[in-house]
Amino acid sequence: MRGRFFAVCRYEFRMQIRKRSLWLSTAGLAVLIAVAQGDRGPRHLPAAADAARVMGSWALLFSMLLPIGFGMVLADRLVRDHRLGAASLLASLPTRPGALVAGKYAGSVAATAVPALLVLLVTAAGEFVHRGDPALFLWAVVAFAVVLLPGLAFVAAFALVCPLMFSAPLFRVLFAGYWFWGNLLGPNYLPSLTGTLLTPIGDYPASWLIGERALYAGAPGWLSFLRPEPGGGAALLSVVLLAVLATPPLVFASPLLARRTSS
Amino acid sequence: MDIMISGLRRRFGRVEALRGVDLAVPGGMFGLLGTNGAGKTTLMRILAGVLPPTSGRVLVGGHDITTRAGRLAVQRRLGYLPQDLGLYPDLTTHEFLEYVGLLKGLDDDAARRRQIGELLDMVGLSDVARRRLKGFSGGMRRRVGIAQALLGDPALVVVDEPTAGLDPEERIRFRTLLAQIAGHRTVLLSTHIVEDVAQTCQEAAVMASGRVVFTGPVTGIIDRAQGATWEVVTQGPPPSTGVVVSAVGRPGGTHYRVVSPTKPDPAAVPVQPSLEEGYVALMREAVPG
Repeated sequence: MRGRFFAVCRYEFRMQIRKRSLWLSTAGLAVLIAVAQGDRGPRHLPAAADAARVMGSWALLFSMLLPIGFGMVLADRLVRDHRLGAASLLASLPTRPGALVAGKYAGSVAATAVPALLVLLVTAAGEFVHRGDPALFLWAVVAFAVVLLPGLAFVAAFALVCPLMFSAPLFRVLFAGYWFWGNLLGPNYLPSLTGTLLTPIGDYPASWLIGERALYAGAPGWLSFLRPEPGGGAALLSVVLLAVLATPPLVFASPLLARRTSS
Repeated sequence: MDIMISGLRRRFGRVEALRGVDLAVPGGMFGLLGTNGAGKTTLMRILAGVLPPTSGRVLVGGHDITTRAGRLAVQRRLGYLPQDLGLYPDLTTHEFLEYVGLLKGLDDDAARRRQIGELLDMVGLSDVARRRLKGFSGGMRRRVGIAQALLGDPALVVVDEPTAGLDPEERIRFRTLLAQIAGHRTVLLSTHIVEDVAQTCQEAAVMASGRVVFTGPVTGIIDRAQGATWEVVTQGPPPSTGVVVSAVGRPGGTHYRVVSPTKPDPAAVPVQPSLEEGYVALMREAVPG
C-alpha cells in the first residue's frame, strides 16, 4: 500500500503544481505583502538585524495571507474527483481509501509548500542584495519549515476534507472568516484564537526566530492556558498541536469519501 | 472469471434500484441490456466494488464481494470503465495510465511502461500519449478509458455504456476493440444500445425496473418477437396497435415495422424479427403498458 500512497502523492502534486491559479495566487499575494507592508514590516528592519530575525519576520508576514490563497485552491481537491467523474474509477481500484486520502493530502501540502518556499527564497535573495549575509538563505528554509509549513499542513487538512461535508464555496467563505478571526483579529477586541498556540500563521515559531513577540503570541486574552510566553518550547508545542489538530479531518475523510461515492 | 448473483437488492433511500437480481455470467463477452433507469449502472457499480449492495450475494471468480477481502481480491483482477469516466485534464494520456497502473499495483516500472505502450497502440492513441487529456474528444476519452481498464491484464472487464454519445465510426471501432479483448477474459458490456450487443455478444441479459427479465443467448431475445413482427406499407397514419420500431418513407408509401402480438393492420405481413424487435417485444412483456 505504501507504493500506492506515493503514487497518489506524486500525481496529486504533479496535477496541482501545474495549476496556474496556485502560482498566480501565490505571486499576487506575495507581491501585495512585499509592497503594502507598513513601517513595521521586515523591509524596514535595521541593516544590522540578524538573518533569523529578518527571515522570521518575512515568513510571518507571508504566513498571514498566503495560506488563505492555498486554502481556496485546495478546497476542491477531494471533491473534484466526483465532479470530474473519476471517483468511481478510483473506488474500483485495489487502493485503500486511507492511502488515497493520505496521498492526496501529502501531495497537496507539497504542492503548496513549493511556491511558498520559493517565495521565501526569492525574498532571501532580495534581502541578500542589501544585507550581503548568505545565512539568509539558510534561515529562509528554517523559517519556512517552522512558520509556514505547519500552517499549510493544518490548512490543507481542513481545506481538503470540509468540502466533503458542505460546498467548497461555503467553505471558502467560512475559511476566510475564520482566518481573520482566529489569526489576525487582536485578542483585546473579541474572544479569538489569535495569539494562542493554535494559530496556524506561526506566531509562536516566528517569535522564537525573531527573539521577541512577533505579533500577538502569548498576549493576554481568551483561553489563557493556550497563551504561554513565546520561546523555543512554546514554538515546538504550537507546531505539534497544529499537526495533531490536522489529524481528525484526515481520519474522517475516508468514510466521508466512501459515503459520497456510494450515494 | 464467472459471476454468480443471487437475490441482489440495492436501495437508495426510498427508491429500490435493484429488486432481487439473479444472474449467472459465464466467461467471454456478455451483454447487459436495459432502458435508462433499469438498474444496469447500479449493478455494474456493485460488481466493481464501488457500491455495497443492500442485500443479496455476489460471487465473482468465487470471491464474495460483499466482504472487504473478497472485494479487494476482485478489484485486483478487475478492469472497470465507468459510465461518464472523467479524466484528469492536467495529466497526459501516458501519465494518467501510469497513475492508474500504479494504483492497480503494477509496481514494476519497465513492465508497466511496456504494457502502457502496447495498450496505447491497441487503442490507437500512441500519437497523443504525451498530450494533456484536456480537449480530448468523447471517443478518445473512451479509448483512454478502455486502455486504463485493461491495465494489469484483468480477468474481468466491466464496461458501462461505453458507446453512448459516440459517432458511428467511433462506435464500430470501440465495439471491435471490446470483441478483441474478450478472447481470454470475461467482458461485461452494459448498454441500452441493442446494436452493440447484437454485434459483439452471444450471451446477454435484459434488465427492466431493477430485475433481470431475460438471460440466455442473444438469439433467444430475437425469438421473443417471432410471429409478432409485422411490416405494414401504407400512405395513411401508422398502425395504432403494437410498437412501431421503424418507419421508412418510400414512393409507394411508408414502410412500418411493428411489434404486436396481433396483426396490427389488415395489410400487415409477418416478417423475420431483428434483435431490436425482440428486445421491444421482451420489454413489452416485462413492463406492460
